[in-house]
Amino acid sequence: MEAGIGSLTRLGESAIDVTLVVVEPTPRSIDVARRGLHVADERGQGRVVIVANKISDDADRQRIIGAFGDRPTVFVPEDPAIDAADRRGTSPSDDAPDAPGVQAIEHIIDGLGLPDAVRG
Amino acid sequence: MKIAVVGKGGSGKTTTSAVLARGLARHGHRVVALDCDTNPNLGLSLGVGDRETQRLVTLREQVGESDTEHAVSWAEILDTYGTDAPDGVRLSVITRIENPEPG
Amino acid sequence: MTGSRRLRVAFVGKGGSGKSTISGSFARLLARRGEPVLALDSDPLPGMPYALGVAIDDGPIPDDVVVEGPEGGPRWVLDPRCDADAVIEQYAATGPDGVKYLQFGNLWGHASTLQRAQHAWSQVVREVDPDRWHLVGDLPGGTRQAMFGWARYADTVCVVVEPTAKSLHAAARLLNLSTATWAPHHLVIVANKVTDPAEIEAIGARLGRPVASGLPLDAALADGDRLGTAPLDVAPNGAFAHGVEALIDHVESLDYPRDMREPS
Repeated sequence: MEAGIGSLTRLGESAIDVTLVVVEPTPRSIDVARRGLHVADERGQGRVVIVANKISDDADRQRIIGAFGDRPTVFVPEDPAIDAADRRGTSPSDDAPDAPGVQAIEHIIDGLGLPDAVRG
Repeated sequence: MKIAVVGKGGSGKTTTSAVLARGLARHGHRVVALDCDTNPNLGLSLGVGDRETQRLVTLREQVGESDTEHAVSWAEILDTYGTDAPDGVRLSVITRIENPEPG
Repeated sequence: MTGSRRLRVAFVGKGGSGKSTISGSFARLLARRGEPVLALDSDPLPGMPYALGVAIDDGPIPDDVVVEGPEGGPRWVLDPRCDADAVIEQYAATGPDGVKYLQFGNLWGHASTLQRAQHAWSQVVREVDPDRWHLVGDLPGGTRQAMFGWARYADTVCVVVEPTAKSLHAAARLLNLSTATWAPHHLVIVANKVTDPAEIEAIGARLGRPVASGLPLDAALADGDRLGTAPLDVAPNGAFAHGVEALIDHVESLDYPRDMREPS
């Protein structure tokens, strides 16, 4: 999606099964996420999961819980391996598949309720 | 299942989308990653590299310039404006999500 | 500052690169030099108020001073009884350093809810007295709004880039603004969140033009971000603030032909 929530406002109703709202523990990011939530709820874009990103300590966790405590939330730790991949323009899934941030993002899958895929 | 990822610029939308797509594919799911950003760079986080990411942008820019807005199928979009990323993820760059007719 | 020359500068770049942080600080530091500064925020998810220290981040120009435009003209125009000066006077918020802050409102639902306010905002930007105000603008992250000409009020456009591949991608595309019919007179590369001078070199090499200004990664700013405290209030004498001061000096030192001041 495009930065912000523009693309979400242009989607048809119920086009999406799950909306992941990625949010950093800063007031500004939380503000944008609140808007994303509002649009997702308003337009019926499926289940909403908060992805709290770049979480470095308990104060960060509390900032997210304070804003979205009633929503299912996945916490992703601040992870230098992801920052390093970002600088290089490479995939964290290749560079650091076992890094805590990568692992936490992959855990989102467990909550999606997908049927087991047939492994080729 | 269709999953949308939203958030402030720089919050980690692209990284989250890419790692999730790769993870789903590794679990054996068939995954299409759609880049709906007007400045598409999902390819970088998926691991297709700078050149290939840039090639998809250029392809899409050419679509923008020609005025022939014909209805194209999903298959055509994935084929023409897409590329294969690791783990079997198919990446496609699309201008606007509501444009294409479902195939 | 030479004569009555006012700056007209806008900041573009990938989301999260630091546009709002830099543009807001730029506006404040310029205002602290005793200059009249109008901060222009065209981001419907505004970040500039955080850097400016303006409390209100949802202050669109109200619909009731916007009326339907004339046949063949813009769809919405300011009520003829209300001009650019009056709008700034009445509806721009005032920051702690005296910066006037004008935004076109916050996006909550569909973008159409902002149509009237956005038209009015654009009209104010077109009609504002260029000899009265320095204009310091912040665009939304990404390339879209910039490509549609929303920075055309600026004769200097600062492309903010952090040393990541994605930010460089966005910056490389934004340099295409130089080919627009309304291209700014100067495109200035501002490297942000720099941890090593070699990164500045690399950014310049990748973009094919020199980096005018390098601003350091500052942990204090990240802490301020989490607390919602403006960079200049977190570290008023830090390396970031000094870097923005130097950027102001740089933008002031650029050469502007007289005709750039004429309305198009």
